[in-house]
Amino acid sequence: MGRSRELLRYTGTRLALAPVMLWLIATLVFLLLRVAPGDPVDAVLGSRAPEAAKAALRARLGLDQSLGQQYLDFLGGLLHGDLGQALINQEPVSQIIREALPASLELSVTALLLAAVTGLAVGFTAIARAEGKIDLAGRFYGIGTYALPPFWVAMLAQLLFAVTLGWLPVGGRFPPGMIAPDGSGFLIADSVISANWAALQGALRHLVLPACTLGLLLSGVFTNALRLNLNRSLRSDYVEAARSRGLSETQVILRHALPNALLPVLTIAGITVASLIGGALLIEVTFSWPGIALRLQESINQRDYPVVQGIVVVIAALVVLVSVAVDLLVAFLDPRVRY
Amino acid sequence: MAASDFSGVIDQSRQSRLASLKRRCKQMQPLSSALSLSTALALCISQSACQPGRRSDRITVASAGRITSLDPAQASTFGALQLLSALGDTLYKRTAEGELKPALASALPEISDDGRTVTIPLREDVLFHDGTRFDAEAMAFSLRRFLEIGTLSYVVGDRITAVEAPETYQLRLRLSRPSSSLENLLTATNLTPVSPRAYQDHQDRFLNDRFIGTGAYKLTSFRAVQQRLEPFKQYWGPSPSNAGLDLIYLSNSTALFGAMRSGEVDVLLSDSIDEDQRLALNRMAAKGRLREGQGPALVIGYITLLSNTPPLQNPVLRQALALSIDRDLINKRVSHGLRPPLFSLVPPGLPGGDLKPWPRHDAARARNLFIQAGYCNGKVFNLPFTYRSNVPADRLMALTWQAQIQRDLADCLSLKLDGVESTTVYRQLGEGAFQAVMLDWRGAYPDPEAYLAPLLSCKESQRSICKRGEAAISGSFWTAPGLETTLLQSDRSRGDARQRDLESVEQMAAEGAAYIPVWLVTPRAWSSTALATPEFDGNGQVVLARLQEQR
Repeated sequence: MGRSRELLRYTGTRLALAPVMLWLIATLVFLLLRVAPGDPVDAVLGSRAPEAAKAALRARLGLDQSLGQQYLDFLGGLLHGDLGQALINQEPVSQIIREALPASLELSVTALLLAAVTGLAVGFTAIARAEGKIDLAGRFYGIGTYALPPFWVAMLAQLLFAVTLGWLPVGGRFPPGMIAPDGSGFLIADSVISANWAALQGALRHLVLPACTLGLLLSGVFTNALRLNLNRSLRSDYVEAARSRGLSETQVILRHALPNALLPVLTIAGITVASLIGGALLIEVTFSWPGIALRLQESINQRDYPVVQGIVVVIAALVVLVSVAVDLLVAFLDPRVRY
Repeated sequence: MAASDFSGVIDQSRQSRLASLKRRCKQMQPLSSALSLSTALALCISQSACQPGRRSDRITVASAGRITSLDPAQASTFGALQLLSALGDTLYKRTAEGELKPALASALPEISDDGRTVTIPLREDVLFHDGTRFDAEAMAFSLRRFLEIGTLSYVVGDRITAVEAPETYQLRLRLSRPSSSLENLLTATNLTPVSPRAYQDHQDRFLNDRFIGTGAYKLTSFRAVQQRLEPFKQYWGPSPSNAGLDLIYLSNSTALFGAMRSGEVDVLLSDSIDEDQRLALNRMAAKGRLREGQGPALVIGYITLLSNTPPLQNPVLRQALALSIDRDLINKRVSHGLRPPLFSLVPPGLPGGDLKPWPRHDAARARNLFIQAGYCNGKVFNLPFTYRSNVPADRLMALTWQAQIQRDLADCLSLKLDGVESTTVYRQLGEGAFQAVMLDWRGAYPDPEAYLAPLLSCKESQRSICKRGEAAISGSFWTAPGLETTLLQSDRSRGDARQRDLESVEQMAAEGAAYIPVWLVTPRAWSSTALATPEFDGNGQVVLARLQEQR
């Protein structure tokens, strides 16, 4: 079978399995929420509301129906692209996600870029002094940043840069008192499109601290990955072969060693961005970043079933899509990859 | 050449090339240095543009809690009610001194001789933010809407049977029974009127992201995490003292504290501030680096004891527990004196709140009662004590009480602490899941009825066990013969008679000891020194319209 046909078949299989994976995840979330203690009606009305009021609200929200019926309604809605309404205020879940997702994506992508640039720079510097003090520092950086508790680093960053030095805002996504530009919800892009430079400055200032913190914490993964893979590449036969053909060292590094060392890093980046969408919870909570992870946490606390289900399904879909895209990209870049 | 020799040459070659490679890499070091520099530069650039300093006459107010609904029929969170209090008015308001004053009403209510009809004259100079006139029909529309769809409509209960508008500016309420708490009920923010025209399509459903009321401010921008308020130029009362407000939401106590300390926000509302940070702000205010305003304490912290099953079915054991708790120590250790000890279920300042029917800490008397109940001298009463794990003050309280018991009554009582998330606690409270649990309560309006009825009212009982009613929902399942009658009477009587009834109710509750009041939570707000000290109304809300620059 030709490589392109193989790749096509692999892509088709992955995409065909995606709905099955989403269905499994959606079902799991649906069931887990129902067995978790706590009642959304209590969250809306308070525990002291009379039973009659609770029963009326339960009926209005469809929570008085059997679990099977609720599940079928949920799946039916999902198939039609309807994620339902929040129990707390009847706001469409799709709208909640539409508002929160751009914030998370903006933070995740910026953090990822920072992590990649910083991590790769440190990794590259470390390999230049292999086995020396700088290499040791690079290793320490790689392990240390990965091991640091995110909330602790975030609080320290807040304390230092926002409270003590007063350089950056403590939290939030946009300066109070300023009207955020309308548009896609990606404030930086919207500010640029509308040529609202004050808004751009405000949005960037709010982004710096959470993005740098998250980026710093992730950068160690890139440092370690690059260091290990570049080291391995530099010792491999194809690098020797390249040298024996008379290529300059710069050509050897840039054309042969580095691309091969970056392939695993690309996979890591893909997995990281996918997990970041829902996994930046501690950063979003600490910096009051109004993203999807913060919304998910609030909705879990409120037992707002449709919002939790909707967010988890959307995150799962994004993870599946990103992982397929990364696999394809790696396969495209690396002819050795077979499926 | 032998193979080993050949590989040796290769190795040498590799080593030398590797060394050369490292030199190349070193040459690229400026790239990584440049990246590090650019990061630092970005920080420096941000510094030039930042913090703090007031740049406009607008005031930024921060609090915790995302506002998901601005509909008075739906709003229940501290932040939403605080915001609504600026955007709308109620018929009556309570001053910080506890005095009832007409707001949208033009005079105090007239109550019929049988106490079942309440007539309220209304102001004639009030406009809604959409320009329509406020009148009795508008008020009736809002009240009926609340009674119909209000998530907190049970607060009114079955008291109001009909809402009428006999004249353009006269509202009439028909009651099922006389109710002395009704006037205070009419100060509840949930009963804020809305424009019938703006809400005509939302008579039977909520309007969450807009609000058209009569308040000193109108809402010009609403997002769950930020709201923008502008003074309403046609407001009937005194104009706001500031040019407008920006209310922002920060998700945790540390962020709120940091924002206030760094000067990023002008005013901080104390809801959800952790104890240490509350203390730090309090000390900063004492040193003149901030201004601190205090409101009437309307939140009580208390312990509920499961009183319908052994072992706490035994009132002697409950009374021993009530005597065992050292509130002064807890106040000192947990809040550094910011949560005053409480010996009543009604906050001080409200009728009946000055009584102190619950006993003070007395370890010797507690020991005697434990002995009387069959404990001590080798038999320790192991009590599972639940606290809300997401409320730091509750956890500190539980730890302090546990240590204090270990010090005073180790041979009689031992507390087994169990932290449970609050959503789960409230869900399982009415199922009798907790032997002893630390909770708090804020009445929906400032009246003893809003504190006593939700804890003590019982619709169906068997001797001292409440089978159905608020006492069961509250997790104590406790009542006493005559308690429900006296409780109802306390809401019918007025003046001294009401005071006596309230005293009886509290006395019975203290003897039953199914609840142990622990502390009072005083609302606080902090402002920068550029602003005047925040003022509170009698409902414990900051009067946002009076926030102003200190000139």
